[in-house]
Amino acid sequence: MAEHERRDAEAGGDAAAATHTSNMQRVKVYRLADGGKWDDQGTGHVSIEYIEGSKELGLTVLDEEDNETLLVHNITSDDIYRKQEETIISWRDHEAATDLALSFQEAAGCSYIWENICDIQRNLQFSNLGALEVGPRQSSESLEASRIMHSNDDSFRSANGEFRELPPVELSNLPFILKTVLEGGITDQIRVAELITQDRDFFPKLVDIFRTCEDLESLDDLHMIFKLVKGIILLNSPSIFDKIFSDELILDIIGALEYDPEVPRVQKHRAFLKDHVVFKEAIHIENVSVVSKIHQTYRIGYLKDVILPRILDDATLASLNTMIHTNNASVISLLKDDALFIRQLFARMRSSDISMESKRELVLFLHEFCTLSKSLPLVQQLRLFRDLSGEGVFEIISDVLQSHDRRIVSAGIDILILFLNQDPNLLRSYIVQQEGNSLLGLLVKGMVTELGEEMHCQFLEILRILMDSFTMSGAHRDVIIEIFYERHLDYLVDVIASSCPPRSTANSVGAGRNAEGHRIKPEILLNVCELLCFCVVHHPYKIKCNFLMNNAIEKILALTRRREKFLVVAAVRFMRTIISRNDEHLIRHVVKFNLLKPIIDAFVENGDKYNMLHSGVLELLEYIRKENIKALVIYVIESFWDQLAKFEHFGSIQAFKLKYQQYLESAEPRLSASVPDMRKKAEQRGLEKEEEDYFNEDSDEEDSGSGRRAKHAQNQHSKAKVPNGSEADNVEGASRPKSAGLVDYDDDDEEEFNPPPKEPARPSEDDVPLNIATVKRRPVNAVDGKHADGEVRKRQKIETRISCAKIAAVTSTSSKHTDLQNKHAPHSPASSTPSTEANGVLREHGTNSEEHQHSVENAEASCQAGGDCIKDVGSMSTEKAVNTTNPSDSEPYSVR
Amino acid sequence: MGASDLDRQIEQLKRCEPLTEAEVKALCLKAMEILVEESNVQRVDAPVTICGDIHGQFYDMKELFKVGGDCPKTNYLFLGDFVDRGFYSVETFLLLLALKVRYPDRITLIRGNHESRQITQVYGFYDECLRKYGSVNVWRYCTDIFDYLSLSALIENKIFSVHGGLSPAITTLDQIRVIDRKQEVPHDGAMCDLLWSDPEDAVDGWGLSPRGAGFLFGGNVVSSFNHSNNIDYICRAHQLVMEGYKWMFNNKIVTVWSAPNYCYRCGNVAAILELDENLNKQFRVFEAAPHESRGVPSKRPAPDYFL
Repeated sequence: MAEHERRDAEAGGDAAAATHTSNMQRVKVYRLADGGKWDDQGTGHVSIEYIEGSKELGLTVLDEEDNETLLVHNITSDDIYRKQEETIISWRDHEAATDLALSFQEAAGCSYIWENICDIQRNLQFSNLGALEVGPRQSSESLEASRIMHSNDDSFRSANGEFRELPPVELSNLPFILKTVLEGGITDQIRVAELITQDRDFFPKLVDIFRTCEDLESLDDLHMIFKLVKGIILLNSPSIFDKIFSDELILDIIGALEYDPEVPRVQKHRAFLKDHVVFKEAIHIENVSVVSKIHQTYRIGYLKDVILPRILDDATLASLNTMIHTNNASVISLLKDDALFIRQLFARMRSSDISMESKRELVLFLHEFCTLSKSLPLVQQLRLFRDLSGEGVFEIISDVLQSHDRRIVSAGIDILILFLNQDPNLLRSYIVQQEGNSLLGLLVKGMVTELGEEMHCQFLEILRILMDSFTMSGAHRDVIIEIFYERHLDYLVDVIASSCPPRSTANSVGAGRNAEGHRIKPEILLNVCELLCFCVVHHPYKIKCNFLMNNAIEKILALTRRREKFLVVAAVRFMRTIISRNDEHLIRHVVKFNLLKPIIDAFVENGDKYNMLHSGVLELLEYIRKENIKALVIYVIESFWDQLAKFEHFGSIQAFKLKYQQYLESAEPRLSASVPDMRKKAEQRGLEKEEEDYFNEDSDEEDSGSGRRAKHAQNQHSKAKVPNGSEADNVEGASRPKSAGLVDYDDDDEEEFNPPPKEPARPSEDDVPLNIATVKRRPVNAVDGKHADGEVRKRQKIETRISCAKIAAVTSTSSKHTDLQNKHAPHSPASSTPSTEANGVLREHGTNSEEHQHSVENAEASCQAGGDCIKDVGSMSTEKAVNTTNPSDSEPYSVR
Repeated sequence: MGASDLDRQIEQLKRCEPLTEAEVKALCLKAMEILVEESNVQRVDAPVTICGDIHGQFYDMKELFKVGGDCPKTNYLFLGDFVDRGFYSVETFLLLLALKVRYPDRITLIRGNHESRQITQVYGFYDECLRKYGSVNVWRYCTDIFDYLSLSALIENKIFSVHGGLSPAITTLDQIRVIDRKQEVPHDGAMCDLLWSDPEDAVDGWGLSPRGAGFLFGGNVVSSFNHSNNIDYICRAHQLVMEGYKWMFNNKIVTVWSAPNYCYRCGNVAAILELDENLNKQFRVFEAAPHESRGVPSKRPAPDYFL
């Protein structure tokens, strides 16, 4: 291990090392004089070499000016060497009968020489390498071998210590060759690699020896050959790799690697490669060199992953990966440019008179082909995928997806994902064509049918990528979103609705569970719910119209009646996602249709169990409270307090109630009469008018107090900067709230959800409201800008809300109800104040609601706690947010 | 999936042989049903044996079980970081998960910072799944189940256990209970900090973490947290300690590290902390599994190939 690490270290700094070698080796030689004083003997360059006439390794220092020998010292196994500080090595020299010392210019040079001295000593102590490395070999024999080895030394080294040649490859020489390969500094190793490459016969001879040893079952020798081959691989020389991975040699090399002395049983790699592995040719490949490369790639991969994963150092691993990568690239590139080959491939895949088995092979081949195309340079990759889609790859996949063979359905799905990761617009532009429409249907169906089993998550991923609104926009994407909502959304919602027990007429929700509706597997429902949450986040405007129209939310919430707790939790998450849109229409809808009832019922039924349902609902309530969503606070307390009262011992419930009371006490008495009555009235008199009035009254009434400010704050879109609570009043009259939130809505068909016209005198700080009446049905590509626009406004809104949350907090502290406040305080998070800059960063990388929540929460907390330390924390988290924007960089240091 | 199926799978996993994709899916679904019932601050009874990071070092985890006893007999609490870095993340995590499903009351698994989609794509688990199964579905199932893992544990109301450490957003255990943990580990906020933070001698209060997520926290933070939550000490993992465990801040917090010779080259020993029914502590230190017992790495490539 130490050896590898050293090699790693050296390899890492190789280029730099070359230029600094002379500095690394630069030393002053000192000799201890009689008076206990160190005499400077001169400056020169130190090296460790075989000393002429001694057969032992020693230290030599040559004067840097005249190349005279300043010092020659045989390294002994006696413990006489001392390393002082970082740059001095000293010892008591017996021959010179005094103390000598080397003072290095650089610490690195010193430690390099020091390590070498230690290594040499270690070897001397174990008398020779044979005994150490080859294990149970007879010691007399190895002593013999070592004598031969040493006597050979001179002839293989030139005067300056460089290797001239390797000894002939014979069994008796292997220990020496092994020693040469394993030891020595990096320069020696480079030289050894050169010598091995230059010697044409080196590997053929080695292979011969290996075969003989294997025939003789001479395990000790085989172990030694294993070490030699392993050592040669770790030399990490590209030209050696070219040799040993050639068709002629590779199997024997792999054979040699079957005899790892540290693994008790001999491995059967060759047998596996020869007898078990099958190379399949779905389409015959004419080019022999391509075929040879394909085999080679597989074998290198096998060597890397199966034989040597534990042994390879990072540098060698990287070289092997590069080889595999390069091979793949050249194979793919040669095949893709072979027009005949591609044409043949597609013709056969389309052909109706091929066997199921061949068809299967073809699809699997295509899968591998597409997967490996990742090795190509990006531009070529894109071109290849464009070519393949031109050849009709998507039609073929559509066909494949209707197969009953799971393996190929899965391969087909994978191919789609590869395309999507490369360029989603290729698939999108296929789907928007008439004949491609059905593919979207297949994908949706795949998500919910049994055949899709095991691939449900892949179908989910594809749909997500297709409809992802955070990536760069594309006209096709919006068309796909249109098609999805028009044709498939209801189906998915119904899948959920039909799989959940019907709402029991009795009051208890629990009674209804277990009842029926288990046709669809729970994991499918989980995925569907996941996709719907995704839709809520990505298509806020589409879902508003669809969800409100068809009462989809209520249907989805039927999941709370499922027996599986994780589905109940999923339903809570869905509601949390809806509410975190902070959209007034949606919130009103929730109140009007009493949509939190199933959630609260499930929570109550769960009792005092601290589980994910418990946390999920409490977190939802915390969110509502912290976001100051007044309508919901009032609705929840007034509708469910009877049920929730018994949970008052939970901080979150208590705080929620307090929030309600704060609203109540700061508003006119009329307010309290609101929600349930409203709902009843609404049912009697038609909804739309009523709910408008309700909200209008609502904000008109609150003429003073924190509640009003909070409400105002929440709805104020354009005024991002509100310095503090007292000035908030100045902004108050500027505009009616909520305009922007409603305007987003105008391109939907559904007339009834459009708000009544605003007061004409409204100062137009942004002119969007004027569009309400005029723009009805926009051409599809205009939707793009529309969405983006909406997003921008959303962001403003968030920003505003943060500053407003602060205001709300400040006002609440200055409120008269100090008793409430005191109780309220302990529930707020202690500190931490990401400033708005921090939030800015969050916003930039496609934020989700949770993140908003954090910022608001923190903003609020900061105002309540106050003090210097918080500012520090605040600025700190700003930096942190910056650091963490890039996920792959998120662990710049060591990760444990 | 009956108990006998599970027992068979556990035996198979103990031999370091991975399950099929379909088996993984079914196992994860079972696990989901169990984990969804657990609290963000899961209560654990003594006696219990606490283990730190494992990081896919399957054979070293088998050493751990040799030292600490087999699962239903010994009650275990694992502090997360089951995957990444080692060669056997799949087998390691699946064995722990199978034990969890089979003996839900005898083993508690909480989430570490590596139980995350983002991190596993960088540090090995993703690649390992892809290599061993030829698709990333197993990775998807496993990372989905990560979202259900609890965030911390509380032993006999006296010892708070968490993977990383404390958070400036958390002063009471109740605040942990209202985290909606079913999500990818966020980049900041309470949930992130619990999994990422480190105690640090040189810091007074809170400090910036060099990891880029979570915080460094000092002894005063730990003292006041322990005091206000009436706990004796905090037990956490997350940092390599050469001796296997390390006390800090006057025995107010202890780090337990259970991956010997971490990354197969750090040369450290590992430890587990055994608590008896009276919460008496005994650290059991152990070393990496001897080389011979490891057999061949089970990275078998696909048996056939086109290209």
